[in-house]
This record gives sequence, C-alpha cells and structure tokens, in this order.
Amino acid sequence: MKTVYVCNDTVTGIFSGIYDAWKAKKDEEDCKIALRGMLEQELFCDYVEVEETEHKAAAVEALIKRHLGQLAYWDIYHAILSADCQKGDAVLGAMLAAKKIPDSTKIMEHLSHPKVEKVFELSRNVGGEAHNYKGFLRFRELENGVLYAEIEPKNQILTCLAPHFADRLPMENWMIHDRTHKMFAVHEGGKRWVIVWGEQFDETVFEKVSDREKEYARLWKGFCRTIAIKERENPRCQLQHLPLRYRTDMVEFF
Amino acid sequence: MMTQRLQLTVSSLSEMNMYEKLNILTDAAKYDVACTSSGTERKNDGTGTGNCTQSGICHSFSADGRCISLLKILFTNECIYDCKYCVNRRNNDVVRASFTPDEVCTLTMEFYRRNYIEGLFLSSGILKSPDYTMELIYATLFQLRQKYNFQGYIHVKAIPGADLELVRRVGFLADRMSVNLELPTAEGLKALAPHKTRKNILMPMRLVQNRMEENRQELQLYRNAPRFVPAGQSTQMIIGATPETDYQIMQVAESLYQKFELKRVFYSAFVHVNDDAALPAKTGDGPPLLREHRLYQADWLLRYYHFRAEELLTEDNPNFNVLFDPKCNWALRHLEIFPVEINRADYKMLLRVPGIGYKSAVRIVKARKLGTLDFTDLKKIGVVLKRALYFITCNGRMMYPTKIEEDYITRNLLSAGEKLPPDVTGMGYRQLSLFDTVTS
Repeated sequence: MKTVYVCNDTVTGIFSGIYDAWKAKKDEEDCKIALRGMLEQELFCDYVEVEETEHKAAAVEALIKRHLGQLAYWDIYHAILSADCQKGDAVLGAMLAAKKIPDSTKIMEHLSHPKVEKVFELSRNVGGEAHNYKGFLRFRELENGVLYAEIEPKNQILTCLAPHFADRLPMENWMIHDRTHKMFAVHEGGKRWVIVWGEQFDETVFEKVSDREKEYARLWKGFCRTIAIKERENPRCQLQHLPLRYRTDMVEFF
Repeated sequence: MMTQRLQLTVSSLSEMNMYEKLNILTDAAKYDVACTSSGTERKNDGTGTGNCTQSGICHSFSADGRCISLLKILFTNECIYDCKYCVNRRNNDVVRASFTPDEVCTLTMEFYRRNYIEGLFLSSGILKSPDYTMELIYATLFQLRQKYNFQGYIHVKAIPGADLELVRRVGFLADRMSVNLELPTAEGLKALAPHKTRKNILMPMRLVQNRMEENRQELQLYRNAPRFVPAGQSTQMIIGATPETDYQIMQVAESLYQKFELKRVFYSAFVHVNDDAALPAKTGDGPPLLREHRLYQADWLLRYYHFRAEELLTEDNPNFNVLFDPKCNWALRHLEIFPVEINRADYKMLLRVPGIGYKSAVRIVKARKLGTLDFTDLKKIGVVLKRALYFITCNGRMMYPTKIEEDYITRNLLSAGEKLPPDVTGMGYRQLSLFDTVTS
C-alpha cells in the first residue's frame, strides 16, 4: 500500500518528509510527499504525519550534496521554494531516480524522466522569478534611513534575494517584505541577514519616507520616461519583458 | 516640442535644476544602444556599495521595450563635432547642459541604493577637445570608485582621438568600454561624420584589445592585479543611414569579432532626428526595426551558433529575408541535410535546426545519454516545436507526416505565425488562385 508523507510547506518540512520516505526504503510508486493544507485525499493510502526537525533536513541536504552534487542541490532547493504542490513528490522521485543511473551527479540531465523534468521546470520557474525580482525590486528610503522594499512573488524567493542584496549593499540597513508569504528578509549594516515571519510590524512606519526619497523617485521616473525612443515605441515588447504583476511595486509605474 | 524647448531655454537662464539637467542629458544619450550589465562577476569587498553578476540584470523596461539596466547619460551634450545623424551636433539648436563629476556620482549612488540601476553608462559629447572630455570622464569614474567606493558596473565610452594613456587609465576603472564604429564603412563615416576618422576609432579599440590580453597574463601571475575592462569591449553602428547591404554589415561585424575580439556589436536602426542633405530622405516608415532585428538574429548566429557570415548571405543575395529569421532561411535553402535525428545528430548540427537554441541543444545532448528523447521531452526541454517539427525526427519518426519541400514548409511556418509586423505578414501568404503564375 502506498504511503503518503504529509509535511509542512517549508524547506525543513519537505526535507524531513523526504528523510522519512528515504528511511523507509520505498519504491517510487509506493510513496508520496504531500503538503499540509494542499492535500488531495486518495483511496488505499496510509497517511503519515511527518515530524519536522532540523536534524532530518540537514541530513537530507548533506545526502543530496554528497551524492547528487552541488549543482543538483541548487535545482532541488529552488524547486522546493516553488508554489507548486507536487514539488516534494518531484524531488523525492528525482532522488530515487538518481539511484538507478550510473552516475548520480548527472541526474539533472536526465530530462526524459518525468520527475526530474518536473524538478527542472520548477527550479527554472523559481530561479527566473528570483532573477526578475533582483532587478524589479525597488527600495524606498524610510524616515529612519532604512531601505524598504515590498514584493509579491508567487514562490518563496526571499532566501534567493537576501544573499544577493547582502553582498550588494553590505553597509545598508534594508528589509524586503514578501506580502504573499508574510515574510521579511532583514539586514542590518555589517551583519548577516535574517528571515523573519509570524511577527507583527507597525505598518505605518513603512509609509513614511525620507525627504530625499520623493526627489530621487521623481528623477528616476523622469529618466525612465525620457530614455524611451518615441519612434520605436513598443508596449507589447515592454509587457513581455516586464509583466504587469511586477509593476505594482515599481516606482516608475506609479 | 517647440514649446517644451522654449520652456527649457527660459528656465535654463536661471540655474538649471537637476531634474532638467538629467532630462536633457538622458534624452541626448538615449540613441546609444548598449545597456547590458553582463560579462563580469565581482563580489563586494564588504566595505562599499555594489557588485556585478555574470548574467547582468535588467532593472526596468522603457516604453520602447528596451531594457533599462544602467543609468545611461551623457556627461555633456555640448559637442565640437558635426556628425550629421546626431542630435548633439554643434549646428543643432538644442539646450546644452553638463554634469559635474559629483552630480554623476551622487545620482549613481542614490539610484543604485534603491535598486533602480545596475550601474552607470557614461558617454559624452566632445567638450573642447577629446582629451579634455576624456579627462572629465576619468575624473568622474575615479571619484565614483575611490571616494564613493562604488563596486557596481560601469560602462564607459572611449572618445575617439583622445590620448591613449587616458583611455588606458579609464579602462582600469570601467567594466566595459566601447568605441562607436558609428557607420559600417569608412566611406559612410567620411560622408556623415566629417570630424571622425576610421583610424581614430580603431586605434583605441586595438589598444583596449591588446591591453586586455596583457591583463589576462598579469592576472595569471598575480591574482589580485587590477583588472582592465573585465567585461570586454563592444561597439555599435547605425543601420540604414548609409547604403550598405546586410552582407557588408555582417562581414564588418564578423571581422570585429575575429580581429578585435569584441564582446558585442550593437546595431542601431537609424532614427531621423536631423534634416540634412547627406542623410537618406525622410519616409513615413520610421526606423528600419525589422532589419535591425534580423541583424541581431544573425549576430547571435555568429557568436553562439558557429555560423559564418558568408553562409547566411552572399554577394548575389546580400540582404536578409523579411519573412524568416536568418536561421530558418538558411535551413530552407539546405533542406538536403534535413530532417536530423535528435537522438543521434551532433551538437553543431542540432544548433542549426530552427527552433533549437544553444541551451536546448546542450540539454538534448546531455539528456539523450540517459534515455531516448521524444517530442514531448523536447517541448519540456525548451525546443520551439512549431518551428522545429519540419526539420527533426525522434527515433526515426517525424512529429506529423510532413513533406521536406521548401514551399510546403514555408507556407506552414508562415501560417504558424512568425512574429512579424502586419504589413509584412499581409503579403506573406494568400489563397492560391487559378490565375497565379507558378514560380519556384
């Protein structure tokens, strides 16, 4: 009988689920990873609640890195940040498939395998969104000098963005607010970034911007308008590269 | 336009404010094409602002669909030259403005902090003399790197005719340098840019190339040696202002890639900004955007797909087909080698199949080692099947029963909706009539 491992929608949660499934030494057909809250009930299954621990997650991470390599881990990690509810299952399937090929580190090249293909697709989607936000995210300077940005991504990409901005603006105090998942990435100048969730912030602070802020926003808006060549106007091309959903938080489109 | 200009002149009588200045010097810089921030990877050392990523990052897209990645401005739009195609030519009555190095630095830093931009693109009109202008650019970059500790991307123009020592110094501060070729041939340059010479343009280009080569060797010896133009150099030329054919342009581009080791050649469709007898007559058609697009497509074929210019075009057939991209066009003329078998064809052959890009070609080569590929797999890998299906087989089978005939494929590709302006597609295919003459 098939066993379904039900876990939380976090990296630790899903890795814990994979840990349990892996331990049970099941075949691909006999096990499944499902996410709490996104569960589709099936007949003739055992449902197992996964106990989420840091230890299990670390073990799975080490297992992937050792046997599938750093590059495959990059893909798997990004796939797990996706908003797709089959992500855990796809990752487990890809890991099991890796056992069957001669060189496990080449697993992400095995694109004719449906689960590997799924991981690849999810990773590409998440990586793409993260890359887009690296460019399209806008900071505004609050009264207290903190740079504050709001985003509304489909996937949980804060852990992809934070290292990028921590390297780029190491001396600044900044925070990125993910409205979809109600999470914050917070960075204090000269220190390491942290992810904060489940805490209440006084939202009115985010509305008060510094005096210079409005002036620079105005300069930027003017720049974006002037840089376009009138004879070449092409709104469809613009739309293709910069979909509307990103524009809600971009100051030049206010 | 007139009233706007008048307003600007009036206000410039008093102190010109930052907003107006930025507006003028952006407007003057917008015809420069390159806005890439790719080609170099640099981490922040932990004390300054900024880093660079290999792939480059687009921060916004303007109404013309072009990416905004860098703060693209001129240092000044004053110019002693009289290039006939340029808005800033000395004869033109436009409002002139200049930044100070400090202003450029502050703007760059403040925009960068807010993640508006990936770095600075600094070009300039020629103020007083090429040397004087280049010194100002050097002073600006020096301040930005040293005083403001900016570690983001800088693309700078080398001014033709400036002292080579200055060019060399600027190269150590910038990530990418470019000297504009302006026009594809020396005759074109003579006709439209009387103060510029081919020699003055190619000299700094050669210097940058040689210095980059030396720098590569220095870096092998000393890992922390200062880096010279790490993202390579590029150039751009105007398309459609002079009567060159696409074949000539592609050959120029090819030799620039081979002999000068350029990273990119940019093509800029000629936009009518000045009325001048030496320029082509103004038509209602607007800039030759489709031609520019075809040139870019061919440019990619040169750089990533192992094509040579003479494979794509010939003396007798010197211009690109408006209906098909250069690769499709090439494939249609070489149907004898198609269809190719996806599970067997070598990498270079895969690259030549329309609908298969270099990334999907790599994926195909890797994936087929672990299992045979079918059309559904190809779709997921990223192959554009509606274009590729006429040219490939999977396990000896084609996707649909199709004929390997030029007419048949042409008709089907066109109805599959190549992205073309409506006026071109209109004549693309029509109902066959009894009275049509049959031509091959």
